[in-house]
Amino acid sequence: MDLFLETLTTGVMVGGIYALVALGWVLIYKCSGVLNLAMGEMTLIGAYVCLSFYSMGIPFLLALLFSLIIGFILGVLTERIFLDRLIGEPVLTVIMVTVGLSFFFKGCVEFIWGTDTRVFKPPVFALEPIHLGPLVIGRVYLWSFVAAIVLLVIFVSFFKYTRWGLAMQATADDEMAALSLGVSARFVYAIAWAIAFMAAGVGGTLLGNINGLNISVGYLGLLVLPAVVLGGLNSVPGAIVGGIIIGILQNLCGAYLDRFFPGGVKQIAPFVFMAVFLLFKPYGLWGWERIERV
Amino acid sequence: MSTTWLPCGQYHQSYAEDHSWWQTRFIKGKMILLFVILFVVIPLFADSYGLSICNQIGYTILGALGVQLLIGYCGQITLGHAAFLAVGAYTSTLLVLEFPWPAVLVHWGLAYPISIIAAAFVAGVWSVLFGLPSARVKGFYLILTTMAAQFITVDFILTQYVSQIGGRGQAFSLPPGTIRVGPWVIDSDLKVYFMMIVLVILAVAVLANLLRSKVGRAWVAIRDNDISAEVMGINVVKYKLLAFFVAGFIGGIAGAFWISNLAAISPEHFPWFWSLWLVGVILIGGVGSIHGTIFGSIFMVVVIEALQLAILPLADIYPKLLMDFLFIKEGTFGLAICAFMIFEPNGLAYRWWQMKNYFNLWPFSY
Repeated sequence: MDLFLETLTTGVMVGGIYALVALGWVLIYKCSGVLNLAMGEMTLIGAYVCLSFYSMGIPFLLALLFSLIIGFILGVLTERIFLDRLIGEPVLTVIMVTVGLSFFFKGCVEFIWGTDTRVFKPPVFALEPIHLGPLVIGRVYLWSFVAAIVLLVIFVSFFKYTRWGLAMQATADDEMAALSLGVSARFVYAIAWAIAFMAAGVGGTLLGNINGLNISVGYLGLLVLPAVVLGGLNSVPGAIVGGIIIGILQNLCGAYLDRFFPGGVKQIAPFVFMAVFLLFKPYGLWGWERIERV
Repeated sequence: MSTTWLPCGQYHQSYAEDHSWWQTRFIKGKMILLFVILFVVIPLFADSYGLSICNQIGYTILGALGVQLLIGYCGQITLGHAAFLAVGAYTSTLLVLEFPWPAVLVHWGLAYPISIIAAAFVAGVWSVLFGLPSARVKGFYLILTTMAAQFITVDFILTQYVSQIGGRGQAFSLPPGTIRVGPWVIDSDLKVYFMMIVLVILAVAVLANLLRSKVGRAWVAIRDNDISAEVMGINVVKYKLLAFFVAGFIGGIAGAFWISNLAAISPEHFPWFWSLWLVGVILIGGVGSIHGTIFGSIFMVVVIEALQLAILPLADIYPKLLMDFLFIKEGTFGLAICAFMIFEPNGLAYRWWQMKNYFNLWPFSY
């Protein structure tokens, strides 16, 4: 039972990070309809930038802030240079451009930072775990979860209460109407990419704190896909719930199924689950069902 | 992409002419020249390096044909095609190495050819298995299930289980002399080249003929609008699964062919990157065109090789460039896809088509 509870909490905490990155993904999809496969490399870039600043001796929070700023700039640039010309192109074109982007980013990251695992030195979070009643939780997990939740709250209130956030909601809801009311759609797309880049960067940094940072952290970007499919592609609460469910599922499978299927069950489980889930509920938990007409 | 126009002043006088592949004398001459180059000139004059590049191109063409069929003709986007290549390669390897072949077959050198056919069927069935979700989902969701195919097949089943057969651990080594086709032992680039050229021509001919038959028209109808296709009486699920089968079949042949060029086979030969590479090849060559598959394969392989050659002189000054060439390759590939999608979304085949029409219609191109 202890194992179960511990796996469950770890799952929820890691799931919080997934939820954060998934939120960025959903944001891009909702606002501009781009299905982004470059999310993993975006997390990598954010994480490596933060690591570089941190290694220079800058305090962690400040380094995170700097990496957020750079993420913002890179997001706007990516949208302006690559995605802006593709508005209204077929799905395959846009997806393949994001695939191309992911290779480009990945090549850059590997070229600049190499493929060795790097760790945050000195460790940002103390190593000894925290005891919460019967539970023992690593500090890294707890703080990552807290940070993810705080950022989620900030993002959600940004959408609900600020002028930019409302403009984004309007564009996501009905682009034509938003345009006629004076919302600049191009501005909204740029902001959506910037925010996604920032969210991905934070997610990558937190994951890098848990296991060290190497190119496989980019795998997170693929894990986001099961999460958003589970929640529904265009649902923000869906992304959060989906991220947490995928985190739990992954850890439970790692703990219980690994002895029956040795090896990579933990990595494969979300995708198997997603493939089966798609057969029964293709639009996720809260996604919009699209009615097709000829 | 529509067909090419006939040159000024040439007309068809029978339906047979209308349906023929090589419609004018000029085209006949051109194709015969191409065959002469492929079968005589290249084997005579190319060195081992040139031949190995040709083999790489041929492997890319074989792999990309299935992707072209699924994406370009049937509209089913797949990002997991390397899985089916891997299934083909592993089936063929296992059959050649582990299957108790009757001595007669081994004597006549039929073990490998039979294993290629078996591999193609196994890969086709495997592909249909992962194509089953296409009955219910499409577009982005189908992309996700094909990605799942890649991870489940290569990263899980092949890495964790199949690789353990025979207790070898990671890789299956193929000792020299195991791969035999008839009386020939496939042990040099030249022999691989001839096998490649025969397989590529067969695959292209079969696929091109399939595409202009009833089946091919059904696929194109599904690609253009699957709901209308269903309304017109096409059994959409059946034809989609058939497309997956044929694509997997060709993929299996590609994988089984490629083991003749390798000394050992391991899951690292079929990463997700390779699936995306194949999709990139058809996008750069042109979606919905067999010419495009070939042009794209040549373009990608040659560009990467040229890049490597260009970097070699710089390596003395910046050794990092050569060491990290793999990363530069990835980055270049990504940029090339982006550039083609943004500036030339119709691909190289479109330019070729324009050129042909320009000369055919000259001087009155209106």
